[in-house]
Amino acid sequence: MKKIVAPDYGLGETVKSHAAAIKVAIKEAILPQTVTSHYPGERRRMPDCFRGYLRFDPEMCISCFQCSFICPANAIGMREAPDNRYYPTIDYGKCIFCYFCLDSCPGGALKPTKVHDVAYNDVDEMLTPTCDMIDMPEIIREDERYVEYKIDEHDLSLERVKGLDDLAVELPELEKISMVSVCVAPENCLSCRVCEEVCESGAITSALDGDEIRMTIDTTTCNGCGLCVKECSMQVLRLVRREI
Amino acid sequence: MAAAGKFEWKIAIVNKPLKDKTYFENLKETVIDTGICSRCLTCACICPVDGIIAAKPVDFPDYKERCTDCGACVRVCPRFDYKPKYGMGEYLEFVAAKSNRFVGQDGAMVTEIMMSAIEMGMIDRALFVGRNDEWMTEVFHVYDPSQLEMGTLTGTKYTFATVLKDLKKAVLLSKKGVGIVGTPCIVSGVKKLQKEYPLFRERVKLVVGLFCTENFHYEELAAFLSEKGVDHNRLIKTDITKGKFIATMEGEEEPVTFKVKELEEILPSGCSVCTDFTAVEADVSVGSVGSKPGFSSVAVREKNAAEVMDYIREKGYAEFGGDAVEKQLEFLINYKIGRFYVETAEEEGRDKSL
Amino acid sequence: MMGTIEALINLMMADQVAIPLLDPILNILYGIPLLGYLLAFILWKPIFAGLVCPGFATLGVILMLFPWIERKLVARMQWRVGPREILPQFGGIIQLLADSLRFLFQEVIVHRDAKQPYFVQFPVLSFIPALLPLLFIPAGVIVAVKSAYGVQIILALVCLFPFFILGLGWASNSRFAYIGTVREAFMYFAYEIPFIIAVLAMIVLYGTSDPVAIAGMSVPGIILNPLAALTFFIAAAMATSRLPFEIAEADQELAAGPHVEYSGILFGLIYVMCYEKMYILSGLMTILFLGGGSGPEIAILGDLSGVVYFMIKTVIVMTLLAALRGVYPRYRLDQGLKIGWSSMLIMGTLALVISLAEVLIL
Repeated sequence: MKKIVAPDYGLGETVKSHAAAIKVAIKEAILPQTVTSHYPGERRRMPDCFRGYLRFDPEMCISCFQCSFICPANAIGMREAPDNRYYPTIDYGKCIFCYFCLDSCPGGALKPTKVHDVAYNDVDEMLTPTCDMIDMPEIIREDERYVEYKIDEHDLSLERVKGLDDLAVELPELEKISMVSVCVAPENCLSCRVCEEVCESGAITSALDGDEIRMTIDTTTCNGCGLCVKECSMQVLRLVRREI
Repeated sequence: MAAAGKFEWKIAIVNKPLKDKTYFENLKETVIDTGICSRCLTCACICPVDGIIAAKPVDFPDYKERCTDCGACVRVCPRFDYKPKYGMGEYLEFVAAKSNRFVGQDGAMVTEIMMSAIEMGMIDRALFVGRNDEWMTEVFHVYDPSQLEMGTLTGTKYTFATVLKDLKKAVLLSKKGVGIVGTPCIVSGVKKLQKEYPLFRERVKLVVGLFCTENFHYEELAAFLSEKGVDHNRLIKTDITKGKFIATMEGEEEPVTFKVKELEEILPSGCSVCTDFTAVEADVSVGSVGSKPGFSSVAVREKNAAEVMDYIREKGYAEFGGDAVEKQLEFLINYKIGRFYVETAEEEGRDKSL
Repeated sequence: MMGTIEALINLMMADQVAIPLLDPILNILYGIPLLGYLLAFILWKPIFAGLVCPGFATLGVILMLFPWIERKLVARMQWRVGPREILPQFGGIIQLLADSLRFLFQEVIVHRDAKQPYFVQFPVLSFIPALLPLLFIPAGVIVAVKSAYGVQIILALVCLFPFFILGLGWASNSRFAYIGTVREAFMYFAYEIPFIIAVLAMIVLYGTSDPVAIAGMSVPGIILNPLAALTFFIAAAMATSRLPFEIAEADQELAAGPHVEYSGILFGLIYVMCYEKMYILSGLMTILFLGGGSGPEIAILGDLSGVVYFMIKTVIVMTLLAALRGVYPRYRLDQGLKIGWSSMLIMGTLALVISLAEVLIL
């Protein structure tokens, strides 16, 4: 039978280990490298890629519903606005802050912030209407500085850096979306031209060509929003990765 | 996949008889308003904006705003360029059979064929017509035999159903294929869809036609039956046998019966021009005429239906009662043809004897 | 009658705490009739030792401040912040005041299965071994009861503590309390013998057991016999249930050991019991090994000079005991018993041998 015994290090090693432990304790008691931040008084500096509360710019939105489709937590609902367009609303009771919506947004209407501590009075309030998403939430700042820890790779010592930061994040200009709409089954097309009607960028056009109707997708102007794919009743259109 | 630049495809234009009007106006004027519309709803099935509704008559209420004038409705309408079909049609075999598994109209062979097709893996959903307590028809997507337990899916209803309106949805949802049951006009619509669009050719795997003399609008039939003393809430089963309409009610031993001829006064105009009794274009036609009571006559016309019948034979799901007698159908076939020629003759002022 | 009071006043005035710094004020105050008598009574050395230092008042201050010091220190070692929210300008220094207020107003729940009279009595009675040894601990020259056997008496009274813990664990009549009590009993025997041997070694070394005489020795005991000091220190850590030997209380597995069923002010009494014990043992260690209140004389403070040195040394020892919490994880019961019965017994015996050798050779 196998026996499991505690390792025996001998007296010298034991005393050495005790001394090392006490040495670290004394060092930390005199000059502590505190990691805990005093939260309301100071907050951690979040990186720019931090996934926090979402902001929304209605002018950039093309109502393509992509955010709502992709949301894995089903937190985004599309509500009709007074201008007869559909804009997203986010239920922060469900949101898991995966930022799939932001990544999928072809127009760049959803914008990230570094705000991570939004408080609500009740569950209904967590369903944020579009109008509340346009501005940054009002931040009543108790903190006067952020703290940031820089770890030295060699001796693993910490450095506490303090300063002030802005919680709103401005994204750089978005890269062109790499998706494009194509027709996968032209023979099933009804030539109903619904796709032409919904296309925001005017990439889909139709023209009479003798006895035939010629449908054209301009792949250079198509922004890959997927509205035509959603609307096509025969499902002949697909979004595919653009070849560069 | 797509190189930068243009992606093009072409669609042929359908001929318009009335050049200066939209396709739906063409359809309305040549089919619906002339009364030859069979209310099969093939047009509602294909309409890309989902605007055509199953009213009486079939209509597109706000077509001026919403219609995109694509011509799909005209392309698929079986009555738009109407070539009447009649007779027995071609068939591989014509047998009498009775299902051992299901209870329904006569031999319940429609249910049996559909369920066997699902079991074989030929189709993964079948469109059935059910009814509510008021005997209004509802379309059901059946993908599991357990759904049949509600009992209202089998049996004849003798009223128009909106089966085809659900066909596109079923086709887009299905993975293997769709089976559909319908009257001869619905079968014609499906065949037209299959001819025009590959999507339906690939996905609609089994079309079961029913022997049909006529079909009624729900409101008219309901009014007529209540006049005859039939309570819809207690009605269990309707049937037409030997020229008599038989309505069996719950709690009454003697069913209400009357001659079919009496129903002619509420006969829809679309049915009066139809000469197709046996659903000539279907993959398999099923009806009660031509076999002894308790059995269904099954006319197998296509290879896929023959496969299903072979499967049923192999598994012993049905009891076969020998060949059905074609002779017995002739009366009804001729009755339907005759009705057509009488009416057209009346319209055109010709002699009835034609 | 007047004669008796006169004689008493004279007795008190003969043995006053001498504070040259405050002499001018004190002389005026002595002249005021009633206040003068009161002052003379308080500044009478035996009463001063019992009531002010190292007695009741100092104990109160220590109990109010020391848990905060401990928590703050351990938090610093462990990269945390420690108590902060109550009076944040001073780092939450009145945390224990807030805690004790809460204990005061909280309901004391005496559950149905408890042996009720004992359940309520034991926490209160446990103040007996906490307060009595203070009478024998000298702070410099100030001591309440002078005795030639002071060290033994302190030792005997301190050894009463576990009986009260066993008693309240038994009165709780709950399984966690029971397990904790049994562990406490085991540990009691494990540390008590090396502890007594270590003290015995010092008594042998000094040749006297009068605390005042021991504190007045020229060379502190830690230099004469460091092994005895180490044994005493570890035994003190075991006796006060500091973290490496927090076997009886073991928050993570036994909730709170013997006092799991207590709430309200009764829990508050038990909570401070461990700190009382720590204070007494630290005082004893200061006397035995660190020279008591001896140090460079501060003339202006007079007799209080010894008190100041004694308190500084005591607090340092207490802090070291508390700091163990930040360094070590808890031993298992068997490991604790092994340390007590083998390593420490050997160390204690060796310390006794060293003392005997020093006495015989020098």
